[in-house]
Amino acid sequence: MHTASIVIRSLTKSYGTLTALDSFDLEVEQGSIFGLLGPNGAGKTTLIRILTTLMRQSSGDALIEGLDIQRSGLEIRSMIGVVSQENSLDRYLTARENLELHARLHGMEKQLYKRRIDELLELMGLAGRQKDFPDTFSGGMQRRLVIARALVHQPRVLFLDEPTTGLDPQSRRAVWEHVRSLAGSMTIFLTTHYLEEAEQLCDRIAIMDHGRLIALGSIQELKDRLSGATVYEIEFADQGGAQYAALLASMPCVLDIKQVGHKVTVTLECWECLSEIVTALNGAPVRRISLQERTLEDVFISLTGKKVRE
Amino acid sequence: MILRGAMAIWRRDMQVLRRSIISELVAVVAYPLTIYLAFGIGMQSYIGLVDGAPYSLFIAPGLITMTAVSAAYNESVWSLWFHRRVQFTIESYRVTPVSVSEIVIAKIFTGFMHGLIKGCVVGIVIFAITPFRFPVEHLFQYLLFLIPGSALFSCAGIIGGTVMDKPETIGKVEAVLVMPLIFMSGLFFPLSSYPPSLLLWVRALPTTALFEGARRALVAGDLLPLPALQVLISSVVAFAAAVFIFRYKMSE
Repeated sequence: MHTASIVIRSLTKSYGTLTALDSFDLEVEQGSIFGLLGPNGAGKTTLIRILTTLMRQSSGDALIEGLDIQRSGLEIRSMIGVVSQENSLDRYLTARENLELHARLHGMEKQLYKRRIDELLELMGLAGRQKDFPDTFSGGMQRRLVIARALVHQPRVLFLDEPTTGLDPQSRRAVWEHVRSLAGSMTIFLTTHYLEEAEQLCDRIAIMDHGRLIALGSIQELKDRLSGATVYEIEFADQGGAQYAALLASMPCVLDIKQVGHKVTVTLECWECLSEIVTALNGAPVRRISLQERTLEDVFISLTGKKVRE
Repeated sequence: MILRGAMAIWRRDMQVLRRSIISELVAVVAYPLTIYLAFGIGMQSYIGLVDGAPYSLFIAPGLITMTAVSAAYNESVWSLWFHRRVQFTIESYRVTPVSVSEIVIAKIFTGFMHGLIKGCVVGIVIFAITPFRFPVEHLFQYLLFLIPGSALFSCAGIIGGTVMDKPETIGKVEAVLVMPLIFMSGLFFPLSSYPPSLLLWVRALPTTALFEGARRALVAGDLLPLPALQVLISSVVAFAAAVFIFRYKMSE
């Protein structure tokens, strides 16, 4: 039987007339990597701020490792690690001193934190720069240092609020590697704008919009929820794209069609319609017909009506 | 352990101060020293004796006190604003098992330490280059004013750094509130210069009690109980207000 690390029941947060979180319910399994997706202003950061005890909810309950966030703030903060959107590194302390300060705030003994910090600096590839100030680090190195800081006290739950926003693809992948290496040792709750990040890292995903949970499940489960419509890309050998696009558009089983140069993308009612398409294209200079896999972005757009950055 | 978090934050602040102590002290000493040269020496011959003392000696204790409390205020207000609005380190403290009160206590103590260190250094410089002298045993009475006084200004700085989001507002408040309060408290002239109707109000200000009480303590070794109590109560009230306001702001 799996135990829930995070339990959220009817959590609501209002700012005057604006409801940032609206009766939000969720359970996150212990040791899993859980992703929270939503467009800007969906309420992701509000939720993470409430769960990390930085903000009080208007109503509802939330438990972290069985402890109530309103009654056991100090105990919860001693068992969570938080990587906020801003780097929040102390630019007047060296990389090592940043970690030492965090360890002291958690009441760790010097002997214990010295060893732990050595390990983390090594793990994050920052051992050689431990005496340097964070200002001299690249964005990716700063982010790795923030993650190391959140791990100093060996938290049971790690909150990552858009951990790779603003990083170049290489640094982003390096952060993913580090997050993936933690899988199983602690519960990881991450919010992200990057669907690829969620697909790469998360066991389960929740999609929220306007403060409400609108979908929850594994990536495959979410993709399976899309309608039976299937999308094919047909590539023509020469300039026949426009001519055949007009023909295909007139067919009743074609829901949508887009043509760019040689390529025509058709959305069919169901995959069985493909044989009708092939028959219609008999003799046409078709170079390739390929099935387009549904992506998490398709799921996201179908549920929220927006692209994830909107 | 109680105040473990406050100690950790205070240690961090002292570590940073140690790194920049020389440049900090140069800047801190320059301002009161300029005032001393301009008013104490430049204007001395025009002013003559004030309360039976040469003008340069009259303003010396006030300049030491001003340096200490200004340093306490400035460190607290700018440090809190910077950590809250620019560096977001306050938020990183708040996700650790440290209470909001501990963060405030640490910052007040840091401001107070800045005040004490910088006040002492200015005192030494004034002692070294001017004929101003005071018996060492008067230091105890003086510290009874300076310690709660620096704490009071440090708390005021915490409140300012908590409620003010824009740096220009901090500068304006200092110009229209903090500095006038210091200057009105008899730093450059005896309180007897005020008309009697105004004097009552001026004496009600904790800054007046602080500057007047500190001067009398340092020069004459007097411990005026009423001003001492006034400064102490003000600093306790300011501390409670600082904790409440910081807590309230953080919960928003």
